[in-house]
Amino acid sequence: MGRLLVRRLVATLPVLVLVTTGVFALLHLTPGDPIDAMMAESVDASVKEALRRELGLDRPIPVQYLAWVRRALRGDLGRSIRNREPVVEDVGRRLRPTLQLAGLALAVALALAVPIGLVSAARRNTVVDGAGTAFALVGICMPNFLIALLLIFVFGVRLRWLPISGYTDPFEEPLAGLRSLALPALTLGLAFAAVIARTLRSSLIEALAEDYVRTARAKGLSEGHVLAGHALRNGLIPVVTVLGLQLGALIGGAVITEYVFALPGVGRLVVDAVFARDYPLVQGVVLLIALGYVATNLVVDLLYGWLDPRIRYR
Amino acid sequence: MESTQPNGTPRAVSRRAFLRASAAVSAGLAAAGGRALPRAHAQGAPRRGGTLRVGFYIEAATMDPHLSGSKIDRQVYHNLYEPLFVLDVKLGLKPGLAESWQQPDPRGIVLRLRRGVKFHDGTEFNAEAARFNFERMRTDPRSVRKGEVASIDTVEVVDPYTIKLHLKRPDAALLAALTDRAGMMVSPRVVQERGPDLERNARGAGTGPFQFVEWVKDDHILLRRNDGYWNKQGGPYLDQIRYRPIPDDTVKLASLQSGEIDVMDYVQPRDVAAVKADRNLVEVDVPSLASFGYMLNHTRPPFNNRALRQAVASALDVEQIVKAVWLGVGVPSNGPIPPSSWAYDASIRPIRRDLARAKAKLAEGGQPNGFSFTVTTNNIPINVQEAEVMQAQLAEAGITMRIKLVDSAALLSDGNGRNFEMITYQWSGRPDPDGNTYQFFRTTPGVSLNWSGISNARLDALLDRSREVADRTERRKIFGEITRILHDELPMIFIVHPIEPKAFSPRVQGYEPVPDGMMRFKDVWLK
Repeated sequence: MGRLLVRRLVATLPVLVLVTTGVFALLHLTPGDPIDAMMAESVDASVKEALRRELGLDRPIPVQYLAWVRRALRGDLGRSIRNREPVVEDVGRRLRPTLQLAGLALAVALALAVPIGLVSAARRNTVVDGAGTAFALVGICMPNFLIALLLIFVFGVRLRWLPISGYTDPFEEPLAGLRSLALPALTLGLAFAAVIARTLRSSLIEALAEDYVRTARAKGLSEGHVLAGHALRNGLIPVVTVLGLQLGALIGGAVITEYVFALPGVGRLVVDAVFARDYPLVQGVVLLIALGYVATNLVVDLLYGWLDPRIRYR
Repeated sequence: MESTQPNGTPRAVSRRAFLRASAAVSAGLAAAGGRALPRAHAQGAPRRGGTLRVGFYIEAATMDPHLSGSKIDRQVYHNLYEPLFVLDVKLGLKPGLAESWQQPDPRGIVLRLRRGVKFHDGTEFNAEAARFNFERMRTDPRSVRKGEVASIDTVEVVDPYTIKLHLKRPDAALLAALTDRAGMMVSPRVVQERGPDLERNARGAGTGPFQFVEWVKDDHILLRRNDGYWNKQGGPYLDQIRYRPIPDDTVKLASLQSGEIDVMDYVQPRDVAAVKADRNLVEVDVPSLASFGYMLNHTRPPFNNRALRQAVASALDVEQIVKAVWLGVGVPSNGPIPPSSWAYDASIRPIRRDLARAKAKLAEGGQPNGFSFTVTTNNIPINVQEAEVMQAQLAEAGITMRIKLVDSAALLSDGNGRNFEMITYQWSGRPDPDGNTYQFFRTTPGVSLNWSGISNARLDALLDRSREVADRTERRKIFGEITRILHDELPMIFIVHPIEPKAFSPRVQGYEPVPDGMMRFKDVWLK
């Protein structure tokens, strides 16, 4: 276990190097300049030049990259060009709502998907299964922003049950916080639930055809017991894979959902930073997203072993 | 070019009222046209109290007016800080922190400062403080204000409440610049003690009707009433102002409809009709100072050829663009100066579509069968639509326009590098016509806002003259002449002077729309 961890962590290094060099190169190759973007109204070229020098933007790109890596290794991701705040602080502040949203969306998704998937598999090819499939299709086909706007219209404007935009930290004000995250979590959760429900259904159907299920039934176990106690755990492996990938993406921020609901998350941060050509900020966030992916995938791999003891890591 | 940020286009009084206002101004009846700009439903006696919740399209960038390059910052500043002069609804200068001014000679301006004004940190505003601010704008390495105060040579403290600005050259536009960030006075003590943190925390820094409480990044900026405000007439009435960034326009409107916010800074043209029809909302069209159009690159083909520039201008139907793309939320443009300005000359018509002339000009330019070029524009819906309409109009004249879509950072670098043939230019505008003309059309070496690269001796002479002459009638004539030259030389094709529609909850009372689009909440109250 310990050895596995170390090995996996070492293996992430090339990934991180590749991602950061790639982003660094792409950013600097993209037309546009942070100083121009920041001081669009100023005609004073000497002021702009001085700023470029001060920020080290006049140096060759490889030199800038190495300087960035050297500082990043010491935990210093530099300062944002636009608002001159430390990137670590900026990202840290934005990570909170993003993680909370990801967690809540996951909870919504599981709460919906597991029962739907179970029932669909158990009552295959019935009306219930058809309804589950229809739900999943709608969830997968409807773009996020459309679900978001519909939810806003129904629950925000018409019924006025929930706030439309903005963020309150649930750890500070639990009720207001959960209310502020309800619609975005539902938006993400619905699409997420659809994918999980479909995956769960098909893997359960497969599991239900296995010999051990027949054995369990032959032992006289109730159908519910067979499903929940025997088939479910085996059917979860593909679900966990899907979950891991989607959660990784969520840590990078659900850009559109955060944008629509005015949530101050990582996704909005990185988009704004790209538009402002705020190099250090983009670099910092991308590094974080890459780490997020690596971490969730590691957790997923560990979960495999727990779910199915036949899977062993050496 | 702050206004090219996505959704950042400035615009808001009905089109009819707007035209009426401009007609009144152009007829020289500025004093008589007072009705044209409606007060937002002022009724009953003002009531103290309440929190005004304002929805914005983007997060503010900094709380330091001398370092600010973004329009959204100014919305907050106009409640927190005070400029030396204040704009009235007709763009006239009213005394602000300066009670009066005199110009004993063209290179000297004497400002008498208001007595009894205190910064929110308790320190006194006086001549030393004013001098400190000017010095900071002129010399701080990060100051973005250098260009606006460039004509100032030295600042002399005459007595504790009088300063004299010694100018390097006459500058008729300087006073108007002092109505915004370049005239905003920041507490010297706060600047010295807080250093760079002033950008995030403006506690105690201003003299305005509201004082800074907190800025929770990406969530809100909170101001509260300054009970010690020097001006005892009228407000401030509100207890607090809370600014919130809501980037999506549809969601911002939904937030207003559901009562989560009381004011939204800008309504997209596509939403204006719906907002006007909604009985639970009050829409106010605020004329802007903005000028939107396209720069043509004079330094390389095809637009180093004047006849081809004229062919393009004659092939475009500006009226139709304003009707179809802007949905009438703007006025067809006749030049850089907006109808809200005293310098606007309504006798100059926007360039009319004339396909026969376009054909003739194509022949004159050596391209009788038409030619093709590329326009560089912002990848936001209204810009894309505008480009598509232009593309269709030009095609009728046999001119092929390709569209290159970029984001605003790329747009700026293409413009500054003169790496374009035709490029969109959306200027938020300045109260003095100088701010909409000189820097764009005066011959300037190196990088400047003169993206087209136009260099015309007569134009240069007129632009220089417009800074030296103080008399408005005379200046207005000069700007008229400048506009006519621009029609002929075409460094820019002028499309629209957008209106900046704002929407309010009916609870909001006493809002006065000033054509710079800034929302000043001193006299605003909640019913």
